[in-house]
Amino acid sequence: MLETRNLSSGYGAITVLWDVNLTFRAGALTAIVGPNGAGKTTLLRTLTGLLPFSGEILMDGAPLKGKTWDLAVQGLVMVPEGRLVFRDMSVEENLCLGAYPERCRGDLSANLERMYAFFPRLKERRHQLAGSLSGGEAQMVAMGRGLMAKPRILLIDEPSLGLAPVIVNEVFDIIRRLKGEGTTIVLIEQNTRVALSVADDVHLMRSGKVILSEKAEGLDLDRLHDLYFAREGAKEGAGR
Amino acid sequence: MPVTSNASAQAAPAAASQRGRGALIGAGLLALALLPLVAGASPYMLGLLISALILAGLALSWALLGNLGGMVSFGHAAFFGVGAYGSALLAGKLGVPVLLAIPLGGLIATVFSLAMLPALRLSGPYFALAILAYAQIFRILATELDWLTGGAAGLQRYPGLPTVLGFNLADRAGSYVLVLACVVVFALVYMALRRSHVGTALRAIADSEDATRVVGVNATVLKTWMLLLSAFIAGVFGALNAHIIGFLEPDYAFSGIWSVMPIIAAVFGGYRSVLGPIFGAVVIYLFDQVIAKSLIPVGHQILLGIVLAIMVLLAPNGLSGLVARFLPRLAGRGLSNAEKGHA
Repeated sequence: MLETRNLSSGYGAITVLWDVNLTFRAGALTAIVGPNGAGKTTLLRTLTGLLPFSGEILMDGAPLKGKTWDLAVQGLVMVPEGRLVFRDMSVEENLCLGAYPERCRGDLSANLERMYAFFPRLKERRHQLAGSLSGGEAQMVAMGRGLMAKPRILLIDEPSLGLAPVIVNEVFDIIRRLKGEGTTIVLIEQNTRVALSVADDVHLMRSGKVILSEKAEGLDLDRLHDLYFAREGAKEGAGR
Repeated sequence: MPVTSNASAQAAPAAASQRGRGALIGAGLLALALLPLVAGASPYMLGLLISALILAGLALSWALLGNLGGMVSFGHAAFFGVGAYGSALLAGKLGVPVLLAIPLGGLIATVFSLAMLPALRLSGPYFALAILAYAQIFRILATELDWLTGGAAGLQRYPGLPTVLGFNLADRAGSYVLVLACVVVFALVYMALRRSHVGTALRAIADSEDATRVVGVNATVLKTWMLLLSAFIAGVFGALNAHIIGFLEPDYAFSGIWSVMPIIAAVFGGYRSVLGPIFGAVVIYLFDQVIAKSLIPVGHQILLGIVLAIMVLLAPNGLSGLVARFLPRLAGRGLSNAEKGHA
Protein backbone atom coordinates (compact mmCIF):
# COMPACT_ATOMS: atom_id res chain seq x y z
CA MET A 1 0.00 0.00 0.00
CA LEU A 2 2.98 2.31 0.61
CA GLU A 3 5.82 2.26 -1.86
CA THR A 4 8.97 4.26 -2.56
CA ARG A 5 10.63 4.53 -5.96
CA ASN A 6 14.20 5.77 -6.29
CA LEU A 7 13.72 7.76 -3.14
CA SER A 8 16.64 10.03 -2.25
CA SER A 9 16.71 12.60 0.51
CA GLY A 10 18.89 14.22 3.11
CA TYR A 11 19.65 17.41 4.90
CA GLY A 12 20.50 20.34 2.62
CA ALA A 13 23.55 19.49 0.51
CA ILE A 14 24.10 16.20 2.32
CA THR A 15 22.35 13.23 0.76
CA VAL A 16 21.58 10.49 3.25
CA LEU A 17 19.22 8.19 1.36
CA TRP A 18 20.26 6.90 -2.06
CA ASP A 19 17.67 5.46 -4.47
CA VAL A 20 15.64 3.58 -1.94
CA ASN A 21 13.01 1.21 -3.37
CA LEU A 22 10.72 -0.29 -0.76
CA THR A 23 7.25 -1.76 -0.58
CA PHE A 24 5.21 -1.85 2.62
CA ARG A 25 2.37 -4.36 2.43
CA ALA A 26 -1.03 -3.59 3.89
CA GLY A 27 -1.67 -5.37 7.18
CA ALA A 28 1.94 -6.45 7.50
CA LEU A 29 4.65 -5.36 9.87
CA THR A 30 7.70 -4.23 7.98
CA ALA A 31 10.90 -3.82 9.96
CA ILE A 32 13.72 -1.61 8.78
CA VAL A 33 16.88 -2.61 10.57
CA GLY A 34 20.43 -1.38 10.31
CA PRO A 35 23.29 0.14 12.26
CA ASN A 36 23.56 3.72 13.46
CA GLY A 37 23.70 6.24 10.64
CA ALA A 38 22.18 3.87 8.08
CA GLY A 39 19.47 6.40 7.28
CA LYS A 40 16.54 4.67 8.99
CA THR A 41 15.22 7.71 10.80
CA THR A 42 15.89 9.84 7.72
CA LEU A 43 13.70 7.41 5.76
CA LEU A 44 10.90 7.80 8.29
CA ARG A 45 11.20 11.55 8.36
CA THR A 46 11.08 11.59 4.56
CA LEU A 47 8.00 9.35 4.47
CA THR A 48 6.19 11.65 6.88
CA GLY A 49 7.01 14.76 4.88
CA LEU A 50 9.47 16.27 7.34
CA LEU A 51 12.27 16.23 4.74
CA PRO A 52 12.32 17.14 1.04
CA PHE A 53 13.04 14.28 -1.35
CA SER A 54 13.51 13.27 -4.94
CA GLY A 55 11.94 10.16 -6.44
CA GLU A 56 8.44 8.98 -5.59
CA ILE A 57 6.40 7.94 -2.59
CA LEU A 58 3.17 6.17 -3.53
CA MET A 59 0.23 5.38 -1.28
CA ASP A 60 -2.21 2.93 -2.88
CA GLY A 61 -0.49 3.66 -6.18
CA ALA A 62 -1.00 7.42 -6.05
CA PRO A 63 1.81 9.87 -5.32
CA LEU A 64 1.70 11.05 -1.74
CA LYS A 65 1.07 14.76 -1.51
CA GLY A 66 0.98 17.22 1.34
CA LYS A 67 2.82 18.39 4.38
CA THR A 68 3.39 16.31 7.47
CA TRP A 69 0.14 17.25 9.21
CA ASP A 70 -1.81 16.62 6.02
CA LEU A 71 -0.25 13.18 5.60
CA ALA A 72 -1.25 12.39 9.19
CA VAL A 73 -4.81 13.41 8.37
CA GLN A 74 -4.61 10.99 5.42
CA GLY A 75 -3.57 8.23 7.81
CA LEU A 76 0.23 8.22 7.76
CA VAL A 77 1.06 8.65 11.43
CA MET A 78 4.45 8.54 13.11
CA VAL A 79 5.47 7.65 16.64
CA PRO A 80 8.65 9.70 16.95
CA GLU A 81 11.93 8.46 18.31
CA GLY A 82 12.94 8.99 21.92
CA ARG A 83 9.44 8.65 23.39
CA LEU A 84 8.65 12.22 22.53
CA VAL A 85 5.67 13.00 24.74
CA PHE A 86 4.33 16.37 25.80
CA ARG A 87 5.81 16.48 29.26
CA ASP A 88 3.71 19.27 30.71
CA MET A 89 0.45 17.63 29.72
CA SER A 90 -1.37 14.74 31.35
CA VAL A 91 -1.37 11.25 29.85
CA GLU A 92 -4.97 11.72 28.78
CA GLU A 93 -4.27 15.07 27.13
CA ASN A 94 -1.38 13.48 25.26
CA LEU A 95 -3.68 10.74 24.01
CA CYS A 96 -6.47 13.16 23.10
CA LEU A 97 -4.05 15.18 21.04
CA GLY A 98 -3.57 12.11 18.86
CA ALA A 99 -7.25 12.35 17.94
CA TYR A 100 -6.70 15.80 16.48
CA PRO A 101 -7.66 14.91 12.87
CA GLU A 102 -11.32 15.70 12.35
CA ARG A 103 -12.25 12.13 11.40
CA CYS A 104 -11.17 11.01 14.93
CA ARG A 105 -13.03 13.59 17.00
CA GLY A 106 -16.52 12.13 16.84
CA ASP A 107 -15.95 9.08 19.05
CA LEU A 108 -13.25 10.49 21.28
CA SER A 109 -14.32 8.75 24.48
CA ALA A 110 -14.74 5.35 22.80
CA ASN A 111 -11.35 5.84 21.21
CA LEU A 112 -9.84 6.65 24.61
CA GLU A 113 -11.41 3.58 26.22
CA ARG A 114 -9.94 1.47 23.42
CA MET A 115 -6.50 2.83 24.28
CA TYR A 116 -6.97 2.20 27.99
CA ALA A 117 -8.03 -1.37 27.24
CA PHE A 118 -4.85 -1.69 25.25
CA PHE A 119 -2.59 0.02 27.77
CA PRO A 120 -4.20 -0.58 31.20
CA ARG A 121 -1.21 1.05 32.88
CA LEU A 122 -2.01 4.33 31.15
CA LYS A 123 -5.52 4.28 32.56
CA GLU A 124 -4.08 4.24 36.08
CA ARG A 125 -1.89 7.18 35.18
CA ARG A 126 -4.36 9.10 33.04
CA HIS A 127 -4.15 12.32 35.08
CA GLN A 128 -0.42 12.16 35.71
CA LEU A 129 1.90 14.48 33.80
CA ALA A 130 3.55 12.64 30.94
CA GLY A 131 6.91 14.06 31.97
CA SER A 132 6.78 12.05 35.19
CA LEU A 133 6.37 8.64 33.50
CA SER A 134 8.96 5.90 33.23
CA GLY A 135 10.56 5.24 29.85
CA GLY A 136 8.33 2.30 29.02
CA GLU A 137 5.16 4.15 29.98
CA ALA A 138 6.21 7.18 27.93
CA GLN A 139 6.72 4.90 24.93
CA MET A 140 3.19 3.57 25.48
CA VAL A 141 1.84 7.13 25.57
CA ALA A 142 3.67 7.93 22.34
CA MET A 143 2.25 4.81 20.67
CA GLY A 144 -1.21 5.38 22.10
CA ARG A 145 -1.17 8.95 20.81
CA GLY A 146 -0.30 7.68 17.34
CA LEU A 147 -3.07 5.07 17.49
CA MET A 148 -5.63 7.65 18.56
CA ALA A 149 -5.12 9.23 15.13
CA LYS A 150 -6.52 5.98 13.65
CA PRO A 151 -3.58 5.45 11.33
CA ARG A 152 -3.77 3.49 8.10
CA ILE A 153 -0.02 3.11 8.48
CA LEU A 154 1.74 3.56 11.81
CA LEU A 155 5.44 4.37 11.59
CA ILE A 156 7.30 3.61 14.81
CA ASP A 157 10.80 4.97 15.22
CA GLU A 158 13.22 2.99 17.40
CA PRO A 159 10.82 1.99 20.23
CA SER A 160 13.52 0.04 22.11
CA LEU A 161 15.85 3.01 22.39
CA GLY A 162 17.09 3.48 25.93
CA LEU A 163 14.69 0.97 27.48
CA ALA A 164 15.61 -1.87 29.85
CA PRO A 165 15.39 -5.31 28.16
CA VAL A 166 12.33 -6.34 30.19
CA ILE A 167 10.53 -3.18 29.11
CA VAL A 168 11.61 -3.71 25.50
CA ASN A 169 9.88 -7.09 25.57
CA GLU A 170 6.77 -5.50 27.03
CA VAL A 171 6.70 -2.83 24.31
CA PHE A 172 7.15 -5.44 21.61
CA ASP A 173 4.35 -7.56 23.06
CA ILE A 174 2.15 -4.55 22.50
CA ILE A 175 3.42 -4.12 18.95
CA ARG A 176 2.65 -7.79 18.32
CA ARG A 177 -0.92 -7.29 19.56
CA LEU A 178 -1.27 -4.20 17.39
CA LYS A 179 -0.21 -6.21 14.40
CA GLY A 180 -2.73 -8.88 15.39
CA GLU A 181 -5.46 -6.26 15.11
CA GLY A 182 -4.48 -5.67 11.50
CA THR A 183 -2.68 -2.33 11.82
CA THR A 184 -0.14 -1.77 9.06
CA ILE A 185 3.13 -1.00 10.81
CA VAL A 186 6.53 0.19 9.70
CA LEU A 187 9.07 -0.34 12.43
CA ILE A 188 12.53 1.18 12.59
CA GLU A 189 14.83 -0.74 14.88
CA GLN A 190 18.50 -1.27 15.64
CA ASN A 191 17.80 -4.31 17.74
CA THR A 192 17.46 -6.99 15.02
CA ARG A 193 16.53 -9.77 17.42
CA VAL A 194 13.39 -8.08 18.76
CA ALA A 195 12.56 -6.62 15.35
CA LEU A 196 12.62 -10.05 13.73
CA SER A 197 10.44 -11.44 16.49
CA VAL A 198 7.49 -9.37 15.28
CA ALA A 199 8.26 -8.60 11.62
CA ASP A 200 6.71 -10.04 8.47
CA ASP A 201 9.13 -8.33 6.09
CA VAL A 202 12.65 -7.17 6.86
CA HIS A 203 14.79 -4.61 5.09
CA LEU A 204 18.39 -4.03 6.06
CA MET A 205 19.81 -0.59 5.50
CA ARG A 206 23.40 0.51 5.57
CA SER A 207 24.97 3.81 4.50
CA GLY A 208 21.71 5.13 3.12
CA LYS A 209 20.94 2.11 0.94
CA VAL A 210 18.73 -0.94 1.26
CA ILE A 211 21.07 -3.90 0.99
CA LEU A 212 18.74 -6.73 1.90
CA SER A 213 14.99 -7.29 1.57
CA GLU A 214 13.58 -10.58 2.85
CA LYS A 215 10.62 -12.25 4.47
CA ALA A 216 11.28 -12.46 8.19
CA GLU A 217 10.29 -16.10 8.30
CA GLY A 218 13.26 -18.35 7.61
CA LEU A 219 15.68 -15.45 7.36
CA ASP A 220 19.30 -16.49 7.90
CA LEU A 221 20.26 -14.44 10.93
CA ASP A 222 23.98 -15.02 10.42
CA ARG A 223 23.83 -13.64 6.93
CA LEU A 224 21.83 -10.64 8.17
CA HIS A 225 24.38 -9.96 10.86
CA ASP A 226 27.28 -10.35 8.43
CA LEU A 227 25.71 -7.69 6.25
CA TYR A 228 24.68 -5.60 9.24
CA PHE A 229 28.25 -5.38 10.49
CA ALA A 230 29.73 -5.37 6.96
CA ARG A 231 31.82 -8.42 7.69
CA GLU A 232 34.24 -9.81 5.06
CA GLY A 233 32.73 -12.12 2.50
CA ALA A 234 29.13 -11.08 3.02
CA LYS A 235 27.30 -10.94 -0.30
CA GLU A 236 24.91 -8.08 -0.79
CA GLY A 237 21.68 -8.49 -2.66
CA ALA A 238 17.96 -8.15 -2.53
CA GLY A 239 16.61 -11.65 -2.12
CA ARG A 240 13.06 -10.91 -3.14
CA MET B 1 1.65 18.71 44.16
CA PRO B 2 -1.68 19.32 45.83
CA VAL B 3 -3.40 20.51 42.67
CA THR B 4 -2.53 17.47 40.60
CA SER B 5 -3.38 14.85 43.19
CA ASN B 6 -6.58 16.70 43.89
CA ALA B 7 -7.51 16.51 40.22
CA SER B 8 -6.79 12.81 39.88
CA ALA B 9 -8.55 11.78 43.07
CA GLN B 10 -11.91 13.22 42.10
CA ALA B 11 -11.66 13.12 38.34
CA ALA B 12 -15.18 12.49 37.06
CA PRO B 13 -17.45 13.85 39.78
CA ALA B 14 -15.14 16.84 40.09
CA ALA B 15 -16.10 18.12 36.64
CA ALA B 16 -19.56 19.25 37.74
CA SER B 17 -18.49 20.68 41.08
CA GLN B 18 -15.57 22.35 39.37
CA ARG B 19 -17.94 24.01 36.95
CA GLY B 20 -20.05 25.15 39.90
CA ARG B 21 -16.95 26.44 41.62
CA GLY B 22 -15.87 28.17 38.40
CA ALA B 23 -19.23 29.95 38.20
CA LEU B 24 -18.88 30.94 41.85
CA ILE B 25 -15.42 32.37 41.28
CA GLY B 26 -16.68 34.16 38.18
CA ALA B 27 -19.56 35.73 40.11
CA GLY B 28 -17.20 36.73 42.90
CA LEU B 29 -14.81 38.35 40.49
CA LEU B 30 -17.60 40.22 38.76
CA ALA B 31 -18.88 41.51 42.10
CA LEU B 32 -15.37 42.62 42.92
CA ALA B 33 -15.09 44.36 39.55
CA LEU B 34 -18.37 46.21 40.05
CA LEU B 35 -17.50 47.22 43.60
CA PRO B 36 -15.92 50.56 42.62
CA LEU B 37 -19.23 51.59 41.01
CA VAL B 38 -21.34 50.55 43.97
CA ALA B 39 -18.95 52.03 46.52
CA GLY B 40 -18.91 55.29 44.58
CA ALA B 41 -15.24 55.55 43.71
CA SER B 42 -13.97 59.01 42.82
CA PRO B 43 -13.73 59.93 39.12
CA TYR B 44 -9.96 59.95 39.53
CA MET B 45 -9.97 56.40 40.87
CA LEU B 46 -12.35 55.23 38.13
CA GLY B 47 -10.06 56.83 35.57
CA LEU B 48 -7.13 54.87 36.94
CA LEU B 49 -9.16 51.67 36.90
CA ILE B 50 -10.21 52.24 33.27
CA SER B 51 -6.56 52.61 32.26
CA ALA B 52 -5.70 49.54 34.30
CA LEU B 53 -8.38 47.52 32.49
CA ILE B 54 -7.17 48.75 29.09
CA LEU B 55 -3.76 47.47 30.08
CA ALA B 56 -5.38 44.25 31.34
CA GLY B 57 -6.90 43.64 27.90
CA LEU B 58 -3.58 44.30 26.24
CA ALA B 59 -1.79 41.99 28.70
CA LEU B 60 -4.42 39.31 27.99
CA SER B 61 -3.75 39.53 24.26
CA TRP B 62 0.01 39.39 24.86
CA ALA B 63 -0.33 36.37 27.13
CA LEU B 64 -2.58 34.58 24.65
CA LEU B 65 0.13 34.84 22.00
CA GLY B 66 2.84 33.89 24.48
CA ASN B 67 1.02 31.06 26.20
CA LEU B 68 -0.95 29.47 23.37
CA GLY B 69 1.16 30.58 20.44
CA GLY B 70 4.52 30.20 22.15
CA MET B 71 5.62 33.57 20.78
CA VAL B 72 7.15 36.38 22.80
CA SER B 73 6.06 39.71 21.39
CA PHE B 74 7.94 42.96 21.95
CA GLY B 75 5.68 44.77 19.54
CA HIS B 76 2.14 44.84 20.83
CA ALA B 77 2.29 48.64 20.65
CA ALA B 78 1.90 48.21 16.88
CA PHE B 79 -1.45 46.41 17.15
CA PHE B 80 -2.60 48.73 19.93
CA GLY B 81 -1.72 51.85 17.92
CA VAL B 82 -3.13 50.59 14.63
CA GLY B 83 -6.40 49.72 16.36
CA ALA B 84 -6.51 53.17 17.94
CA TYR B 85 -5.81 55.06 14.72
CA GLY B 86 -8.01 52.75 12.65
CA SER B 87 -11.04 53.23 14.84
CA ALA B 88 -10.49 56.98 15.35
CA LEU B 89 -10.13 57.57 11.60
CA LEU B 90 -13.16 55.44 10.71
CA ALA B 91 -15.30 57.30 13.22
CA GLY B 92 -13.80 60.74 12.60
CA LYS B 93 -13.42 60.80 8.82
CA LEU B 94 -16.03 58.33 7.58
CA GLY B 95 -18.63 58.79 10.30
CA VAL B 96 -18.74 55.12 11.25
CA PRO B 97 -20.60 54.67 14.58
CA VAL B 98 -18.04 54.42 17.36
CA LEU B 99 -19.27 51.10 18.73
CA LEU B 100 -18.84 49.63 15.24
CA ALA B 101 -15.55 51.42 14.62
CA ILE B 102 -13.96 49.83 17.70
CA PRO B 103 -14.21 46.20 16.52
CA LEU B 104 -13.31 47.38 13.02
CA GLY B 105 -10.21 48.96 14.55
CA GLY B 106 -9.40 45.53 15.94
CA LEU B 107 -9.97 44.06 12.50
CA ILE B 108 -7.60 46.59 10.93
CA ALA B 109 -4.94 45.62 13.48
CA THR B 110 -5.56 42.00 12.48
CA VAL B 111 -5.10 42.82 8.79
CA PHE B 112 -1.86 44.66 9.52
CA SER B 113 -0.62 41.75 11.59
CA LEU B 114 -0.68 39.70 8.38
CA ALA B 115 2.54 41.52 7.55
CA MET B 116 4.05 39.67 10.50
CA LEU B 117 3.35 36.24 9.02
CA PRO B 118 6.81 35.71 7.51
CA ALA B 119 8.21 36.21 11.02
CA LEU B 120 6.19 33.22 12.29
CA ARG B 121 8.85 30.95 10.86
CA LEU B 122 11.29 32.51 13.26
CA SER B 123 11.37 31.17 16.76
CA GLY B 124 12.23 32.48 20.18
CA PRO B 125 14.41 35.60 20.27
CA TYR B 126 14.38 36.00 16.47
CA PHE B 127 10.62 36.41 16.42
CA ALA B 128 10.85 38.86 19.31
CA LEU B 129 13.39 40.98 17.42
CA ALA B 130 11.40 40.91 14.19
CA ILE B 131 8.24 42.12 15.91
CA LEU B 132 10.22 44.81 17.72
CA ALA B 133 11.33 46.21 14.37
CA TYR B 134 7.82 45.82 12.98
CA ALA B 135 6.35 47.99 15.73
CA GLN B 136 8.68 50.87 14.85
CA ILE B 137 7.44 50.97 11.27
CA PHE B 138 3.98 52.06 12.33
CA ARG B 139 5.11 54.89 14.53
CA ILE B 140 7.01 56.26 11.53
CA LEU B 141 4.07 55.69 9.18
CA ALA B 142 1.68 57.48 11.53
CA THR B 143 4.08 60.41 11.74
CA GLU B 144 4.77 60.66 8.02
CA LEU B 145 1.28 60.15 6.57
CA ASP B 146 0.02 63.45 7.93
CA TRP B 147 -2.74 63.83 5.31
CA LEU B 148 -4.38 60.83 6.97
CA THR B 149 -3.22 60.78 10.57
CA GLY B 150 -2.50 64.43 11.24
CA GLY B 151 1.19 63.57 11.57
CA ALA B 152 3.12 64.40 14.70
CA ALA B 153 0.51 66.99 15.68
CA GLY B 154 -1.89 64.15 16.28
CA LEU B 155 -5.58 63.53 15.89
CA GLN B 156 -8.22 65.20 17.99
CA ARG B 157 -11.42 65.63 16.08
CA TYR B 158 -13.10 62.28 16.36
CA PRO B 159 -16.11 61.24 18.42
CA GLY B 160 -15.95 59.75 21.88
CA LEU B 161 -18.06 56.91 23.22
CA PRO B 162 -21.81 57.33 22.61
CA THR B 163 -24.84 57.06 24.86
CA VAL B 164 -26.65 53.74 24.48
CA LEU B 165 -30.20 53.28 25.81
CA GLY B 166 -29.79 56.22 28.14
CA PHE B 167 -26.51 54.86 29.46
CA ASN B 168 -23.70 57.33 28.83
CA LEU B 169 -20.59 55.32 27.94
CA ALA B 170 -18.54 58.50 27.78
CA ASP B 171 -18.68 59.22 31.49
CA ARG B 172 -16.30 57.41 33.79
CA ALA B 173 -18.75 54.82 35.08
CA GLY B 174 -19.99 54.02 31.57
CA SER B 175 -16.50 53.67 30.13
CA TYR B 176 -15.50 51.49 33.05
CA VAL B 177 -18.39 49.09 32.46
CA LEU B 178 -17.70 48.93 28.71
CA VAL B 179 -13.98 48.22 29.09
CA LEU B 180 -14.70 45.71 31.85
CA ALA B 181 -17.22 43.94 29.62
CA CYS B 182 -14.65 43.70 26.84
CA VAL B 183 -12.05 42.23 29.21
CA VAL B 184 -14.58 39.66 30.43
CA VAL B 185 -15.64 38.68 26.90
CA PHE B 186 -12.07 38.17 25.69
CA ALA B 187 -11.13 36.30 28.87
CA LEU B 188 -14.04 33.92 28.23
CA VAL B 189 -12.98 33.48 24.60
CA TYR B 190 -9.44 32.73 25.78
CA MET B 191 -10.69 30.18 28.33
CA ALA B 192 -12.91 28.42 25.82
CA LEU B 193 -10.10 28.32 23.30
CA ARG B 194 -7.66 26.93 25.80
CA ARG B 195 -10.02 24.16 26.80
CA SER B 196 -10.77 23.10 23.23
CA HIS B 197 -8.78 20.55 21.26
CA VAL B 198 -7.11 23.46 19.50
CA GLY B 199 -5.89 24.75 22.86
CA THR B 200 -4.45 21.35 23.73
CA ALA B 201 -2.69 21.23 20.38
CA LEU B 202 -1.29 24.73 20.87
CA ARG B 203 0.13 23.87 24.27
CA ALA B 204 1.74 20.80 22.73
CA ILE B 205 3.22 22.83 19.88
CA ALA B 206 5.13 24.90 22.42
CA ASP B 207 6.70 21.63 23.56
CA SER B 208 7.51 20.04 20.20
CA GLU B 209 6.18 21.22 16.88
CA ASP B 210 7.22 18.12 14.91
CA ALA B 211 5.57 15.76 17.38
CA THR B 212 2.26 17.57 16.84
CA ARG B 213 2.61 17.59 13.07
CA VAL B 214 2.92 13.81 12.87
CA VAL B 215 -0.55 13.43 14.41
CA GLY B 216 -2.13 15.90 12.03
CA VAL B 217 -1.81 19.30 13.68
CA ASN B 218 -1.18 22.11 11.24
CA ALA B 219 1.06 24.03 13.61
CA THR B 220 1.70 26.96 11.27
CA VAL B 221 -2.00 27.66 10.73
CA LEU B 222 -2.80 27.45 14.43
CA LYS B 223 0.03 29.83 15.33
CA THR B 224 -1.18 32.20 12.62
CA TRP B 225 -4.67 32.22 14.13
CA MET B 226 -3.23 33.05 17.53
CA LEU B 227 -1.27 35.96 16.08
CA LEU B 228 -4.38 37.28 14.32
CA LEU B 229 -6.56 36.90 17.41
CA SER B 230 -3.95 38.53 19.64
CA ALA B 231 -3.64 41.45 17.22
CA PHE B 232 -7.44 41.80 17.15
CA ILE B 233 -7.74 41.96 20.93
CA ALA B 234 -4.86 44.43 21.22
CA GLY B 235 -6.44 46.54 18.48
CA VAL B 236 -9.83 46.61 20.19
CA PHE B 237 -8.31 47.88 23.44
CA GLY B 238 -6.25 50.43 21.53
CA ALA B 239 -9.48 51.64 19.92
CA LEU B 240 -11.35 51.73 23.23
CA ASN B 241 -8.55 53.75 24.76
CA ALA B 242 -8.51 56.16 21.82
CA HIS B 243 -12.21 56.95 22.16
CA ILE B 244 -11.96 57.30 25.92
CA ILE B 245 -9.03 59.73 26.03
CA GLY B 246 -10.07 61.64 22.91
CA PHE B 247 -6.74 62.41 21.26
CA LEU B 248 -3.99 60.47 19.48
CA GLU B 249 -0.43 61.19 18.50
CA PRO B 250 2.11 58.72 17.08
CA ASP B 251 4.48 58.93 20.04
CA TYR B 252 1.62 58.11 22.38
CA ALA B 253 -0.35 55.52 20.39
CA PHE B 254 2.76 53.57 19.36
CA SER B 255 4.72 54.21 22.54
CA GLY B 256 7.01 51.43 23.70
CA ILE B 257 5.04 51.53 26.95
CA TRP B 258 2.28 49.57 25.18
CA SER B 259 4.80 46.87 24.33
CA VAL B 260 6.53 46.73 27.69
CA MET B 261 3.68 47.17 30.18
CA PRO B 262 1.67 44.14 29.01
CA ILE B 263 4.79 42.00 29.35
CA ILE B 264 5.40 43.23 32.89
CA ALA B 265 1.74 42.82 33.79
CA ALA B 266 1.41 39.34 32.29
CA VAL B 267 4.65 38.00 33.75
CA PHE B 268 3.84 39.55 37.12
CA GLY B 269 0.35 38.05 37.13
CA GLY B 270 1.38 34.72 35.62
CA TYR B 271 1.21 34.62 31.85
CA ARG B 272 0.24 30.95 31.64
CA SER B 273 -3.14 31.55 33.24
CA VAL B 274 -6.10 33.54 31.94
CA LEU B 275 -6.77 35.63 35.02
CA GLY B 276 -3.12 36.24 35.87
CA PRO B 277 -2.43 38.92 33.24
CA ILE B 278 -5.67 40.73 34.12
CA PHE B 279 -4.89 40.91 37.83
CA GLY B 280 -1.24 41.54 37.09
CA ALA B 281 -2.20 44.57 35.00
CA VAL B 282 -4.52 46.03 37.62
CA VAL B 283 -2.04 45.51 40.46
CA ILE B 284 0.99 46.73 38.51
CA TYR B 285 -0.77 49.77 37.06
CA LEU B 286 -2.25 50.89 40.38
CA PHE B 287 1.07 50.28 42.12
CA ASP B 288 2.84 52.36 39.48
CA GLN B 289 0.36 55.24 39.50
CA VAL B 290 -0.55 55.42 43.17
CA ILE B 291 2.51 54.22 45.08
CA ALA B 292 5.55 54.42 42.79
CA LYS B 293 4.63 57.83 41.40
CA SER B 294 4.30 59.39 44.85
CA LEU B 295 7.62 57.93 45.93
CA ILE B 296 9.62 58.81 42.81
CA PRO B 297 7.72 61.34 40.67
CA VAL B 298 10.18 61.10 37.77
CA GLY B 299 11.35 57.68 36.66
CA HIS B 300 8.88 55.79 38.83
CA GLN B 301 8.94 52.88 36.37
CA ILE B 302 12.20 51.78 37.93
CA LEU B 303 10.18 50.43 40.84
CA LEU B 304 8.20 48.23 38.41
CA GLY B 305 11.44 46.61 37.37
CA ILE B 306 12.33 45.87 40.95
CA VAL B 307 8.88 44.52 41.79
CA LEU B 308 8.92 42.31 38.69
CA ALA B 309 12.40 40.99 39.48
CA ILE B 310 11.33 40.08 43.01
CA MET B 311 8.21 38.35 41.68
CA VAL B 312 10.12 36.32 39.10
CA LEU B 313 12.66 35.22 41.70
CA LEU B 314 10.14 34.32 44.40
CA ALA B 315 7.24 33.06 42.29
CA PRO B 316 8.11 32.28 38.68
CA ASN B 317 4.44 31.63 37.93
CA GLY B 318 3.42 35.08 39.10
CA LEU B 319 0.37 36.02 41.12
CA SER B 320 -1.71 33.16 39.77
CA GLY B 321 1.00 30.72 40.79
CA LEU B 322 1.02 32.16 44.30
CA VAL B 323 -2.74 31.95 44.58
CA ALA B 324 -2.74 28.39 43.29
CA ARG B 325 -0.08 27.46 45.82
CA PHE B 326 -1.79 28.95 48.84
CA LEU B 327 -5.43 28.55 47.94
CA PRO B 328 -5.55 25.32 45.96
CA ARG B 329 -9.20 24.72 46.76
CA LEU B 330 -10.38 28.16 45.82
CA ALA B 331 -8.17 28.53 42.80
CA GLY B 332 -10.24 26.61 40.27
CA ARG B 333 -9.01 25.79 36.82
CA GLY B 334 -8.37 29.24 35.44
CA LEU B 335 -5.74 29.98 38.01
CA SER B 336 -4.33 26.59 38.81
CA ASN B 337 -3.34 25.40 35.35
CA ALA B 338 -0.11 27.33 35.44
CA GLU B 339 0.96 25.63 38.60
CA LYS B 340 -0.11 22.25 37.27
CA GLY B 341 2.01 22.72 34.18
CA HIS B 342 5.08 23.18 36.31
CA ALA B 343 4.40 20.50 38.86
